[in-house]
Amino acid sequence: MLVKLLNQRAKWAQEIGVVKKGAGIAIYQPDREAKVVAHVVGSNRGPLEAAAIQRLFERIIDESRRLERTAEPGEAASVAEGSAP
Amino acid sequence: MIVVMAPAADAPAIEHVIARLTERGFDVHRSTGAERTVLGVVGPTQELDTAELELLPGVEEVVRVSTPYKLVSRAFHPDDTLVRVGHPGNNEVTFGGEEVVVAAGPCSVENEEQIRRSAAAVRAAGARLLRGGAFKPRSSPYSFQGLGEQGLELLRMAADAEGLALVTEVMDPSQIGLVAGYADMLQVGARNMQNYVLLRELGRCGKPVLLKRGLAATIEEWLLAAEHVAAAGNRDVVLCERGIRTFETATRNTMDISAIPVIEKRSHLPVIADPSHGIGIRDKVAAMARAAVAAGADGLLVEVHHDPDKALSDGAQSLFPEQFQALMDQLRIIVPALGRSI
Repeated sequence: MLVKLLNQRAKWAQEIGVVKKGAGIAIYQPDREAKVVAHVVGSNRGPLEAAAIQRLFERIIDESRRLERTAEPGEAASVAEGSAP
Repeated sequence: MIVVMAPAADAPAIEHVIARLTERGFDVHRSTGAERTVLGVVGPTQELDTAELELLPGVEEVVRVSTPYKLVSRAFHPDDTLVRVGHPGNNEVTFGGEEVVVAAGPCSVENEEQIRRSAAAVRAAGARLLRGGAFKPRSSPYSFQGLGEQGLELLRMAADAEGLALVTEVMDPSQIGLVAGYADMLQVGARNMQNYVLLRELGRCGKPVLLKRGLAATIEEWLLAAEHVAAAGNRDVVLCERGIRTFETATRNTMDISAIPVIEKRSHLPVIADPSHGIGIRDKVAAMARAAVAAGADGLLVEVHHDPDKALSDGAQSLFPEQFQALMDQLRIIVPALGRSI
């Protein structure tokens, strides 16, 4: 379940990467990343500490950033088809 | 590569570093700690300058996990590299294998009689290569500078007469074609170790290269010099420890025996030792030669002159033929104990 959701997120990251490149927007958006982290930390009910949630999501964001950087037009669609149930 | 941010680094400082690395195509793994943030950098970090990153605001330290050299590293090529020098069935020798290969001869070629007698003496004692300089980089412009092409002709003649391979120094890219026409192996002297134009040209010369360690070069700088030759297309590089400059004045240089096992661990390239320059004083050369071989050197480069007191260069560190013979006899006892041959 968790893996499926991570891959769903990854697919969107690839699509966002293509859009960012097309529009000439920088892949790394520190304000947006900070908002994502603040949101997940805010909705955390434990027992994982806020810092632990932050570290876990930093790794997820790191991988999303990598996918955005390496995304090629058309790639996201094929991955989406391949991972469809 | 790991970038350690200072405890006081604020969010904009951290974000600036991530942005810089991302712009350059690296992936960054951010880990926010209780006191400080650590950034893992993934990608071809050989291209990154650690000093440049350390200048960014908020960066405390940049630590390399991988080495800045690649082709010459043991991680890239786990097996020992064998460097073959000379012609098969004639004067071929292999560096980096079971045999401890000895190259010997005078510092520089002075005349036909000198080089013939020296070549005969070193072959009789068991050397496999003749060494000798035709182009001499000397500390003083008023010292003997070598015989040039005439010296190369004499070296080739003397080596062929004794069935030896020939190694000689090349000082400038313009000399490579000429020297490669005579020698089996081209030597880069200590003073040229960081002459990157020369190193790159040697990467295309088609002959094995003997790369001496610079007088004040770290092992990493030395391996990076070898990387220049390898990156330009020539993997046949033999490293040669020849002593480094230290605070000690009792000897000409300090022979860094410890470099030999360090190189063996970090690189797949053969490493040999030059005890003549390594210590610079004749009566101590044999001790350094024995120590280098015991430490695992794949060979030796020794200066031998038939009449050292009359040598035009480096007479004080050249062995008499009888001393060289005695050294080789001792090595024939030491080397089998290491499971190797000589």
